[in-house]
Amino acid sequence: MSKVDKAILDKQLERLRGDKTLLQAFVDVLSMDPSEEADINRFVLKTVMDKYDEIMNCAENDIPFMAAYFANCPEIFTAMDVPWWIFLQTPFLGVSSPFLASDTDETEKMGLATDFCTVLRLAMFYVEKNLTPKPAGLIALLHPCDGTVVIHQAIGKTKAWHDVPVFGADSPYWDDERTYKYYGEETKRMVDFVTQCTGKKLDIDRLREVCKISNQTYQLWADYNDLRKAVPCPHDWTIGPPQCFALACYYYPGKIEAVDWFKKLVANAEKRVKAGTGMAAGERIRALWFDILPIMWQFDISPWLEQEWGVNIVMNMFGYTPYEPIDTKNETTMFRGLAKRSLSQVPMIRQARGVADNFLGDIERIVKDYKIDCVIWPGHMGHKDGNASIGMMREKCRELGVPFLSIGLDLFDKRYTAIDEVKDRISKFFQASGLGQKK
Amino acid sequence: METKTKSRVLQEFQEASKTLMNPALKKEKDKGAKIIGYFCSYGPAEIITAAGMIPFRIRAIGSTGTDLSDAYLSNINCSFCRNALNMGLAGEYDFLDGLIVLNNCDHVRRIYDNWRRKIKTPLVQMVSLPKKISDPSIQWYYDEMKIVKKAIEDKFNVKITDDKLREAIKLHNETRRLQRKLYDLRKKDNPPITGADTLAVMVAATALPLKQYNQMLKELIDDLSKSEGVGKAKARLLVIGGVLDDPEYIKVIESTGGLVVTDVLCYGTKNFRAEIDEKMKDPIAALAKYYIADRPSCPRMFGDQLRRAQLVKDLVKEFKVDGVIGQRIVFCDLWAGEIYMLNDDLKEAGIPFLKLDREYIMAGAGQVRTRVQAFIESMGR
Amino acid sequence: MIVGGCDIGSTTGKAVIMTDGQIAAYSIVTSTTRPEVTAKMAMEEAMGYLGLVSMDELDYIVGTGYGRLKVPFAKENVSEITCHARGANWLCPSVRTVVDIGGQDCKVMSIDNKGKVLEFVMNDRCAAGTGRFFEAMARALDCDLEGLSKLALEGKNPAVISSQCSVFAESEVVTLVNEGRELTDISAGLHNSIASRLSSMVRKVGLVADVALTGGCAKNEGLAKALENKLGVKVVHLPEDPQIAGALGAALIAAERVQQREEVGKKA
Repeated sequence: MSKVDKAILDKQLERLRGDKTLLQAFVDVLSMDPSEEADINRFVLKTVMDKYDEIMNCAENDIPFMAAYFANCPEIFTAMDVPWWIFLQTPFLGVSSPFLASDTDETEKMGLATDFCTVLRLAMFYVEKNLTPKPAGLIALLHPCDGTVVIHQAIGKTKAWHDVPVFGADSPYWDDERTYKYYGEETKRMVDFVTQCTGKKLDIDRLREVCKISNQTYQLWADYNDLRKAVPCPHDWTIGPPQCFALACYYYPGKIEAVDWFKKLVANAEKRVKAGTGMAAGERIRALWFDILPIMWQFDISPWLEQEWGVNIVMNMFGYTPYEPIDTKNETTMFRGLAKRSLSQVPMIRQARGVADNFLGDIERIVKDYKIDCVIWPGHMGHKDGNASIGMMREKCRELGVPFLSIGLDLFDKRYTAIDEVKDRISKFFQASGLGQKK
Repeated sequence: METKTKSRVLQEFQEASKTLMNPALKKEKDKGAKIIGYFCSYGPAEIITAAGMIPFRIRAIGSTGTDLSDAYLSNINCSFCRNALNMGLAGEYDFLDGLIVLNNCDHVRRIYDNWRRKIKTPLVQMVSLPKKISDPSIQWYYDEMKIVKKAIEDKFNVKITDDKLREAIKLHNETRRLQRKLYDLRKKDNPPITGADTLAVMVAATALPLKQYNQMLKELIDDLSKSEGVGKAKARLLVIGGVLDDPEYIKVIESTGGLVVTDVLCYGTKNFRAEIDEKMKDPIAALAKYYIADRPSCPRMFGDQLRRAQLVKDLVKEFKVDGVIGQRIVFCDLWAGEIYMLNDDLKEAGIPFLKLDREYIMAGAGQVRTRVQAFIESMGR
Repeated sequence: MIVGGCDIGSTTGKAVIMTDGQIAAYSIVTSTTRPEVTAKMAMEEAMGYLGLVSMDELDYIVGTGYGRLKVPFAKENVSEITCHARGANWLCPSVRTVVDIGGQDCKVMSIDNKGKVLEFVMNDRCAAGTGRFFEAMARALDCDLEGLSKLALEGKNPAVISSQCSVFAESEVVTLVNEGRELTDISAGLHNSIASRLSSMVRKVGLVADVALTGGCAKNEGLAKALENKLGVKVVHLPEDPQIAGALGAALIAAERVQQREEVGKKA
């Protein structure tokens, strides 16, 4: 039983339990749909709920768990058999939507500037108010943005987490062998830190197994991404990049469950490509949504895009991760491979970190390979570097001959730019570009 | 309150802080000197000096707008970056032979990508700055310095020898010692120089040929050691925050009767609190150690916040400061967080703290004045 | 001892004259475009009530408000933050949180038992939560300010106004009117949205009862009610016109100065 006072523990787990209840409702709805696609999605939701259970179980039974990220070589946690989660998960998924607005307002009262990325502010709020279970150690993510460097220092000053040990792996700016070697060594230090916090050790042979499975997962992901290039794209907004990212990078890095799920996903996509089956509303616009789409925005924007404009977001930032298999020869090659994965190949990190050539190259690649009709930059208020790249993105799209839209919104606060306003701008953009005309 | 000395040298410093190019710099340029700009305190200016060139810290003073840079940066980007890029696009930085950008923050690092695509500066070089302070990160920065050194050597066909580096380090350290002396004069109850004028002097160091600057600063310090004080201040203030290169802002603060006696600023105390170790055999190793480990760090350095807060508390004691003013340019995440954290430290220490947001281009003087005045009044002064 | 305080705001100029520690007279005049003219008008009106003819008849005058630097007959100027705090505290010594809603700005001060400011937060960047906002909304609902407040008090089902910016809020209001929403509900919604903004500012400095409203908009009952609901504490009513709190605070500081001089004189 947890040494933490029950009342405090209940408060810490309150939001997690609430999220689970909401997710269960989705799972129940999906259970009524016998299709393969529903089954694929149900598994993802169950996975999310299982993670909540895992962490709640740790909190309730004093089992040490880490707060970490998918960009800190998560295969290592799998290999060390250390429970972990992204403590930003709850605000990130936007599942706690009933609370999102009032929680965001609370952060302003705490004194954090309102131009600071909302999801990070929310994470700060959760810790300040002790609304999240306390980890045995915190891995501070130091890339890609300023906000994350700040938040992991500020967390160390809160009453609730001031005594949580913190480790940040220094991440350089380049994408070359020197960088991967350096980050690999930082990751080794991270391993020592995790051992200190949890008592678990890293076995290199076990890491090898895990990396092999991770390589399989990423290969299947690449296969799936290839299938999405088909016209029409085999899946609609309900299946795609977010689920792939979730299972490969966060919930099952190097775990066989991800491989099994991806096999099902690929099989389903293959079937649909063969039959020429796309989304129900009929695909008229193939879009690149160059950012993430947290759950609540998915529900507000994606169905409307499909029905109103026939838009299929065939690729977004969540999904594009060209990768290199990790060389499992020895410890050095594995750490170098993991480093490369975490710095240059995981979604969002890949696009926001490093020089602009990285993401401009991606845009070019995606537009060509996926026969993209238009590129949309949502312009989340937390992406200061991304918003400083709008001119370059626009010029790249002009070069490629595709129309480009920059919106400007808050992916976590719908009051910043209201949904109707966003829809209006998108509609005007499509009209002006002559896209999406019904035949 | 005004700096009483009518020193000609102070006037030259003030002028240098009001413009990009100044007469002394232009003279050198006309003689064929090369000027290399750099975007952040982590410079490193010494390498540029060792190359026989003049280091110039990028400012956007005198910018008339952002209509050119608005095509590239958004309205939620730092106004310093927007104005600096605008001046670059408008040709005001055509006098640069090179530019070194560091990834010190999300806004500045995109200046590198935009600048090299749109502005014809002969050498545009990026430096990957570590995000924490450790032996490996010092080694990383050491390697980055070697890369920058080689880039300058290759582009301009010069050789930056260890001896030249040592000389450069000596020169820059001399500047640091003089600046420290200048600040020491402000420890007095009735300092001989205002905060606004001090900032002008500090900014000028990044825009004048350094040997000349050191000479001028010596003269100024002599002058000030003999001159009258600026008068009785209602409150002694310390200013901390993001890039502040406009003495006008300090002037507005001081128009309330408060006096800025010290600071923790890019152009201030941070420059001379520590010195580069001249005894280290490898001068680049000395640079790396200084910039990463010894120099008071920027909020981008993870895990060093307590040391940064301690510096504020130490300065409050050393300079008998009554209140601290924290300022940041809107949309700066690093300083938003730093001020948020410092608030707790200063509250604990019982040091009054005023938090201000600002834009890079001075605006809303009345609003700043009201807040600072109320702050001073609330201290019972 | 006769002292004066002069508060030059963007919309109105106020003057308070105190004799021997009591309010002897006060005035509220509409601001002209020249602060020094407004100051003279306000001061002379207040003096008129007491039969005073020349500024020299007052021992000390302190200026405050955004035009405070342009009050030529003031011996000293003090920020309106300090003055509103002092004024509110003098009018009601139990007040510890002051919410000042002026024509063009609004501010919240946390004060101690002597009226000294402990912490403050200001919004002088936009119209949200200021007199300008209420004026614009009254126009949109085709009534005067008093009418706007009365409507709000009758609102049973307040509309939710999501725009933070008063310009966009006005558009929202027009839409709601066209949709046939009850004017009472719209007005109540507007007041709730302002109260939300103000309560956010209050929580930044820390809510400590008693809470008082000062400034021109303090007389808006609808706002006081909405704020009480948001904060969960009663808003106390000040025994004098809350709009003079700033000028009153300035006069109190003037009195202090005279006292200090007398004490120094005695010692000499």
